[in-house]
Amino acid sequence: MRRFYLIGFLILLCFDTFTQVGFKIGAIHTAPPGFDWAWVQRLLIEKWIYFAILGYLGVFVTYLTLLRHAPVGPVHAASHLEVVTTSVASVLLLGEKLTYIQILGGALIVAGVLVLAIGSPTKREGISSA
Amino acid sequence: MTAQATLIWLLKIVADTVGQLSFKAAANISEENWFSHWRAMLSDKWMWAGIGSYVVEFFLWLALLSLVPLSLAVLLASFNILTITLGGRLVFKEKLTPRRCIAITLIAFGVALVGWA
Repeated sequence: MRRFYLIGFLILLCFDTFTQVGFKIGAIHTAPPGFDWAWVQRLLIEKWIYFAILGYLGVFVTYLTLLRHAPVGPVHAASHLEVVTTSVASVLLLGEKLTYIQILGGALIVAGVLVLAIGSPTKREGISSA
Repeated sequence: MTAQATLIWLLKIVADTVGQLSFKAAANISEENWFSHWRAMLSDKWMWAGIGSYVVEFFLWLALLSLVPLSLAVLLASFNILTITLGGRLVFKEKLTPRRCIAITLIAFGVALVGWA
């Protein structure tokens, strides 16, 4: 069962990271964001946005499958660990740079997420923010 | 971050928080079985408020991503954990345990460092 969670969780992170990288590439292709009809038209014909939406469907299915077997607290909190994989992917794949102070900020965010994951709500309390 | 990116980030956090709280309000409807639960939820105004917020958030997120690096954007977006936790406390009287206070404080400091470093 541990293995099931671990693999499911890794698949979730992969889908999540792919989705965000896809949105980023789509956003680069459709810049600048004019909030006008021309911008919306560019968004509608951008293929990476559709790839990202497909990735999002993968996230959704994986998340619900995990929720079926695991309590909501840890799953929801742990799903926020996408910030780590997405940041790493941005640096490796997109050539972005983070300063040391930003990495420290990221570490504090992850620490916060882990504190939430450990102190998870009971099943009875249900989904509070998922 | 530029003033424009900061404004879009703030609006994105608002849309996210409104969306999550709306979905929670819609999900709270209790019905006998699965079918009637979904039918009640889909005819509930909060469900549509949630979906509307998500559509708005989708555009704001794409706009933000075209202005700032993805690594920065995902870290800044974590701020929603704080606003949704506090929103749950205000709207649904959810418990704000000491552990959750510590967690959201850490996240707030983290986001501040990432955004203004």
